[in-house]
Amino acid sequence: MTRILLTAACLVAAFGLSGCKIVKTQTADEKAPAADASGDDARIQNLLAETWEPKLVPTINEKALPVADLRAAVASGLEAAGKAHGKAGSGAGAAWNFAVKGEGKVVEANLESRARTLGLDTDADGASDVTLQLGPVVKGTALRDFSPFYDFTNFRDQIEFAKLGRALNDVATASVQIPDGDPIGKTAAFTGVIAIRSASEAWLVSPITLEMKP
Amino acid sequence: MRGNRERKMNFKRRILVSAMALAMAGALPSLAAAADSIAIITPSHDNPFFKAEADGAAAKAKELGYEAMILVHDDDANKQSQLFDSAIAAKVKAIILDNAGADASVAAVQKAKDAGIPSFLIDREITASGVAVSQIVSNNYQGAQLGAEEFVKLMGEKGEYAELLGKESDTNAGIRSQGYHDVIDQYPDLKMVAQQTANWSQTEAYTVMESMLQANPGIKGVISGNDTMAMGAWAALEAAGRTDVIVVGFDGSNDVRDSIAKGGIKATVLQPAYDQAQLAVEQADKFLKTGATGVEEKQLMDCILINADNASKLETFALK
Repeated sequence: MTRILLTAACLVAAFGLSGCKIVKTQTADEKAPAADASGDDARIQNLLAETWEPKLVPTINEKALPVADLRAAVASGLEAAGKAHGKAGSGAGAAWNFAVKGEGKVVEANLESRARTLGLDTDADGASDVTLQLGPVVKGTALRDFSPFYDFTNFRDQIEFAKLGRALNDVATASVQIPDGDPIGKTAAFTGVIAIRSASEAWLVSPITLEMKP
Repeated sequence: MRGNRERKMNFKRRILVSAMALAMAGALPSLAAAADSIAIITPSHDNPFFKAEADGAAAKAKELGYEAMILVHDDDANKQSQLFDSAIAAKVKAIILDNAGADASVAAVQKAKDAGIPSFLIDREITASGVAVSQIVSNNYQGAQLGAEEFVKLMGEKGEYAELLGKESDTNAGIRSQGYHDVIDQYPDLKMVAQQTANWSQTEAYTVMESMLQANPGIKGVISGNDTMAMGAWAALEAAGRTDVIVVGFDGSNDVRDSIAKGGIKATVLQPAYDQAQLAVEQADKFLKTGATGVEEKQLMDCILINADNASKLETFALK
C-alpha cells in the first residue's frame, strides 16, 4: 500500500516537473495569471535548458559570418544585410542582430572593470575594430534578439522578457574563459553576436566562445 | 383603427428617441460620421508625456486622412470603459490607447474587438495577448540600463548613492528599478545608502531628497525613476548647496533637457512617446487597408540616452 502511494507520489512529482518545462510555446489561453514574477526564474531556466545548448549555440555557429564578410555586407546596405544574414529585434528602429566570427590581435584590454572588454584589431591596421564584452556587465540583449526562438508576444511583460536577455548574457559570459595575465599582443579568436543600428556603429560583440592564441 | 394609431404613435416616439440619441451622440467631440475617425485615448494631458502621445497620434491620423477623436481616461478604468462605449457608438475605425490598467483594460479592448474595432496600444502593456492588434511599448528595461550605465560612468564606478522610486502600483516603477540594479549592483564599490518612493512627484521628491541628504551627507549620486522626481531632487540639492551630486532621470522631458543644458541634472533617458504614437496610427492604417500590420503584436521601442551631447536636439519627447 505504502509502495503504491510512494509510486503515485513519484509519478506526480515527475509529471509535475515535466509539466513545468512546457512553457516555451505557451499561448495566451495557457498563460494563467499565476505565472507572475515569482515564477520567472524557474521558467527562464527551463527555457534556457531547452534552447541555449540545443538550439541557440548551433544557430550562432552555423550563421556566423567572418568579420570581413559581414563588414562588406553591412557596408553595402544594413537593411539588406540584416534580411539576408541577421534578425531584427522586436519593434521599430530596433537593431539588426548578426552572428559573427573572427580573430584579431588584442590591442586594448580592460579586465579591471565590471564591464570587462577586449579590443581586437581584425584587419591589421593597428587599431581596435571589434570589442568583445566579457562581462559580468554586458550591454544589450543581442543574444536574445538574434535568436528566432524567443517572441516577446509570448512573454508576460517586459520584465520577463528582460530577464531572459540578462540570463542569456550570464550564460554566455560564464562559458567564456577570461584570459590569464596580460592579453595585449596575443591573438584572440571568437564567435558571438552583435547588435547594430547603423553601418558605421562600433561593433560590440557578445561572445559565446573565446580562444586565446599565443 | 385605434390599435393602428397607437402603433403609429409608438413608431413616431421611437423615431424621436433615435433622433435624440443621434443628436446626443453628435454632441460628443468629433463624432461626425462623415470621415473615418480614429479614437485616441490616453491618461490626462496634464502630464506632457501623454499630451505628446495624443498630439503625435492626432497629427499622424490627420496626415493619413482620418479625423481624430481625442479622449482622456484620467487613469480611471471605469471612465475608460465608457469612453470605449462612446468610441464604439461613434463607429470609429480604430482605437489608439494608452491604457488605464494592465488587467482592467483587457475587457474594454475585447469589447471593441467584438464590435469589429481594432485597438493599438502604446506605452503600457495589457496582460493578455491576441486582444489588441498591436502593443507598442517603450523598452523601459533597456532604457533603465542605459541610464544606469551612464550613472555608473559618471560616478566613476564607486561611491554612495540614493534611488528615488516611482509609484509602487505602477509596473514602470518596478521595471526601471530592476533595469538600474541589474547594472549598478554589479559594481561592488557603488553603495546604495537610501532608496525611497516619491510617487513620481516633484514636490515629494524634494522633501525625500532633503531628508536623504541629512541622513547621508556622503551621497555622491541620485538615480531617479522619472524626470519629475529628478527635478524635485535637483531643487533640493541646489537649496542645500550640493550641486556636486550627480542626478540621472528617466523620460526625456523638456525640463530635464534645460537642466542638462545648464549643467544641473547630468542625464535622462528618452522614451519616444511622440514617434510611438505615430507608429501606432501607421499600423492602424495599414491594418485597416490590408487586414494586417505585418509585424508582431507586442513591440518594444528602444529608449535613447540623453546627456549634454544631444540634449539640445530634444523637443517634446522626440529627437529633432
